[in-house]
Amino acid sequence: MVWAGPSGTRLLADMGAEVIKVESARSWDMLRSLHFLSGPPEGWYDKAAYFNHNNRNKYGITLDLQTGRGRELALRLAAISDVVVENYRADVIAKLRLDYDDLRAVKPDIILVSMPSHGKSGPESHHVAYGTNVEQLAGLASISGYPGMGPHKSSIAYGDPNAGAIAAAATLAALLHRERTSEGQHVEVAQWEALVGNIGEFVLAWQMHVGDGSSPDIDGWSEAQRIGNRHGTRVQGVYPCATPTDQGDAGMRDDWVAISVGSDAEFAALCGVIGSPELIRDARFADVVSRHHHHDKLDAIVGEWTMSRSQDDAASELQAAGVPASPVLRIPRLMEDEHLRARGFWETVAHAAAGEWDMEGPVWRMSRTPAHVRLPAPRFGEHTECILRDLLGLSDEEIAALEAEGVTAREPRAEVHA
Amino acid sequence: MAAPLEHLRILDLTSGVAGPRCTQLLAMYGADVIKVERPGVGDESRGHGPFPGGVPHRERSALFLLLNTGKRGATLDVTTPTGRDLALRIAGRCDAVVLDQRPSELARLRLTHDDFAAVNPRIVTTSVTAFGQSGPHADWRATNLTAFASGGQHYLTGDADREPLQNGGYQALHQAGTWAFGATLAAIWDARRTGAGQQAEVAAQEVMASILEIYLPDFAYRKAETLLTRRGNMATAAVGIYPVLDGHIGIHAMPKNWPQLMDALDMHWMDDDERFRDNRARLRNDDELMAQFYIWTAGVTKTEAYALAGKHRAPISPVNTMADLLASPHLNARGFFQEVDHPHAGTMRYPGPPARMPASPPQLRRAPLLGEHNREVYVDLLGFVRRDLALLSVAGVI
Repeated sequence: MVWAGPSGTRLLADMGAEVIKVESARSWDMLRSLHFLSGPPEGWYDKAAYFNHNNRNKYGITLDLQTGRGRELALRLAAISDVVVENYRADVIAKLRLDYDDLRAVKPDIILVSMPSHGKSGPESHHVAYGTNVEQLAGLASISGYPGMGPHKSSIAYGDPNAGAIAAAATLAALLHRERTSEGQHVEVAQWEALVGNIGEFVLAWQMHVGDGSSPDIDGWSEAQRIGNRHGTRVQGVYPCATPTDQGDAGMRDDWVAISVGSDAEFAALCGVIGSPELIRDARFADVVSRHHHHDKLDAIVGEWTMSRSQDDAASELQAAGVPASPVLRIPRLMEDEHLRARGFWETVAHAAAGEWDMEGPVWRMSRTPAHVRLPAPRFGEHTECILRDLLGLSDEEIAALEAEGVTAREPRAEVHA
Repeated sequence: MAAPLEHLRILDLTSGVAGPRCTQLLAMYGADVIKVERPGVGDESRGHGPFPGGVPHRERSALFLLLNTGKRGATLDVTTPTGRDLALRIAGRCDAVVLDQRPSELARLRLTHDDFAAVNPRIVTTSVTAFGQSGPHADWRATNLTAFASGGQHYLTGDADREPLQNGGYQALHQAGTWAFGATLAAIWDARRTGAGQQAEVAAQEVMASILEIYLPDFAYRKAETLLTRRGNMATAAVGIYPVLDGHIGIHAMPKNWPQLMDALDMHWMDDDERFRDNRARLRNDDELMAQFYIWTAGVTKTEAYALAGKHRAPISPVNTMADLLASPHLNARGFFQEVDHPHAGTMRYPGPPARMPASPPQLRRAPLLGEHNREVYVDLLGFVRRDLALLSVAGVI
């Protein structure tokens, strides 16, 4: 549910895996509620783009796992599956009696992937967390920020897609293991642990700092790591650009280009592009040490140049000379980006309830077996009947009885996520 | 039990962060990763640090030590004809090659997928770069900053009245490397079933564009730009970072977490206040809600807030520093950090694997010294005799 698990199973679904997403009237994916549609319109729960992007290429069934019949049918599905992925709180699958041993009893080589935020064991395993909490726990927030300012959050729930990508890869590793040994396993992705490696050099650097016998001023050291857009060895930053007049109010200057210069050759190229070749021999900038000492001054000079051109023109001119640069793309520009368009990254999807729009294509790009969006996200319970009938062999009467008993459902209960 | 990937051998021709992150993850689960570095110089991250005492030393860079655990290290100059030939010969004994070069560089080196496939039709080549292997920007140069800028997260991060802010460390490159890890395994899985390899391509820009949370999907669908602003540390009052007495905490409460949050903050008076009674009202009165939370956070420590979070199962977390992480009772009870000894860098505690696979109790092994495993690779694997190593070394190939 939500983002971590679904983003991981989406990677597998994109590759062609048959992914069956299980929801119920009282336990449905919260992303369905984040639709921002006024009214809301009828069938709002099938129209949230956040849900529809993350669950494309999957099938959807409703099964109330808290009922005996729902649990039994879930086990029957597990018995014909290779993998079960869950990102409930740590204690939920045990309470549902759908834990690894329960699944193994019906499918001895099953691979269960559990993704609780804090893991399944340890004194804090009962804690709950979303993706922003995960980046706080993992230490990323403490080393992110503007110079001289406090910790800063990412713009996204950063822990979720990271845990999802790790879970998808671990699933494949477990499948490769099963292929060789015929053994399944229970894979545990503690979302907190899954993210620490992303800032692992700071974990080591802190130990080096303390090991030096330096004063272990934790706050001072942490603040010193927060260097905004700068870098330890490269001279770099984001610089304001001219906003094209058709893009609205010229007073709202919010177009930026990122530029990063390391070697003397790159610096010379930058000087050439901005029409100031004399800077190459300027004592303030002549070598990498001087450039760092006069970083602010250099930023001001580069900013003067960028201010008179669009972010696209600035980046293109710099790249033509071999200088790493990119526009800081707003999402509308990202979706128009000529490069991504040329690569066919955006794919048009047609959804029976939500209509047609463009979404990002699969990001694991395979040359011989290219993947595409071949299936829109499931409407709530869209495939309940066909899965129960075609995969589990239930009769029409049994299927009708399940709905009458509330094991399956046609609509989610809105109050769960209101 | 065996490690899940112990039957795989990977040739790693990458440097820096993204490629080494991909192969580090493969090595963590048992793959035999042969990391190839430029003779005399090595991976660029060897020069980056941080270093103990601030003194550069190519065997003591924290970034290199972190990203190259578990690999074997060999030196090889693939820009020489002999070096290229040796790379292809190693690839002939591998399941996958991981590359981070732009397409023009691969063409110049004659190390494209087709070059590898000619010697090993089952080979998977994973290319992890900023912009991918095709398209008008495929040969654009990139660093972590410019890659982050190209993927959409950068614009949204930071304060509304300031410039966009990148996340700390090398997040764009880490994202690319982590996704390349899975892509490599997916292609290997397919190659094992079909007998045919292929190129798996991961572009940092696309990875980041695919994980823009609600922001990209909502814009793509509704074409409304209302969400597309930088919001500093507060997405809303209920999703943000707050200062506490000894640092910061984060709150992330969705509507279904509200009762637990009120329990933890002891603020159930809000239940009867029309400004905060339901989610809609709270969003209308976001500033007032934030003010209430600031009042509460100003009187607690990280530890106190986190204890209340656990007691009431409310989504509140400390903003952990590195010292907090290393001292975490939870991570330590779980044995997350692993002591790794290194002849030049000493013993330090390294983050453990991101996923736990019981079929492979994973023990981290230290990063290789420059050229440490040349004999194993060139003599044991490729069948050279020992004196050939001296010849290759004098020629500058290894």
